[in-house]
Amino acid sequence: MDPEAAKELGKLLGAGLSMGLGAIGPGVGLGIMIGKALEAIARQPEVAGDVRTNMFIGIGVTEAVALYAFVVALILIFVA
Amino acid sequence: MKHPWRWIIGLLVLGFLILLALIPGGEKIEFEVAGEFDRHVLIELPTIGPFDMSITKTVAYLFVAVAVIVVATIVVARSLKEKPGRFQYAMEALYELARDGIVASVMKSGKKQWFPYIGGVFIFVLVSNLIGLLPLPFGEKHQPAFYAATANLNVTLMLALFTFVFTHYAGIHKNGAVRYVKAWAPSGAPPVLKQVIWFIHVVSEIFRLISLSVRLFANMVAGHAILAVFFAMALIFQSYLVGLALQGASVLIYMFEIFVAFIQAFIFAILSAVYIGGALDQDH
Repeated sequence: MDPEAAKELGKLLGAGLSMGLGAIGPGVGLGIMIGKALEAIARQPEVAGDVRTNMFIGIGVTEAVALYAFVVALILIFVA
Repeated sequence: MKHPWRWIIGLLVLGFLILLALIPGGEKIEFEVAGEFDRHVLIELPTIGPFDMSITKTVAYLFVAVAVIVVATIVVARSLKEKPGRFQYAMEALYELARDGIVASVMKSGKKQWFPYIGGVFIFVLVSNLIGLLPLPFGEKHQPAFYAATANLNVTLMLALFTFVFTHYAGIHKNGAVRYVKAWAPSGAPPVLKQVIWFIHVVSEIFRLISLSVRLFANMVAGHAILAVFFAMALIFQSYLVGLALQGASVLIYMFEIFVAFIQAFIFAILSAVYIGGALDQDH
């Protein structure tokens, strides 16, 4: 295989693997966190507003990790 | 058969859908998702020093966002009523969200001083994100194009730099530079571990800057890329049936993008408030 095609193969494979494997962790983490927020709201409905605000902060921070994998995939395809 | 009309209409609809699937679709048009994010110059202006002053698509969208905010607030402020109408109610709801939901619920001191910055950044990022969902004619050859000003890493990096600079300015202004930097290592820690923890804290401060900017940038870029693919799915598959079936999916994705625009503005503002509040009350 000539080096150009091998480089193209490597880039695309890397991009796919990066996004695919990089979405596992945040997916699991988001599920755990939202589940715990639901449990907290079910146990004590008065604090639903506070719990919901903090849950959104947590969602933003953990989804950012999945988006780092997306940015790495973008860099692999378009820049490198 | 109890209701023969229902069966007939059902069979007609099914036949219509099968006919749609069998009709050959239009010609294949080349569609590149990455073309949406090119730097597209609208007005050429001279270069002053290292800064190229020409008006690009991003600059035009930033101006549009500022114009929308200024016009909306002037319109509301001119006609304040005791019993608010719908528009004034929406503006008041946004203001209360920024003041009570973001600043008062996270920061302990310096609420009044930093509320203008955090409220401003919230409204600006929100309006920029939402304007990116409307097709405005800033595309190539004045075609309507979807583009958000915050879908550009330069814009979000600049907003995150504001937060970064204000965080350290707030901490140094309140505590003095030496005490502020020394407080990054906890006081009751063994000698070598203290330096390591201090160094890790420095790295995490720099990482906050990167994560704040990349979070907003990647959310907007991913949202627009998904929207572009969904809208053009009929062209990619060359089938009318796929185009019809994806109308509903496109609308759902569009509603999700509006939700993401709100959430990302809220998260940017509340994380800025957390960082500035954390720098202000370091010894809680």
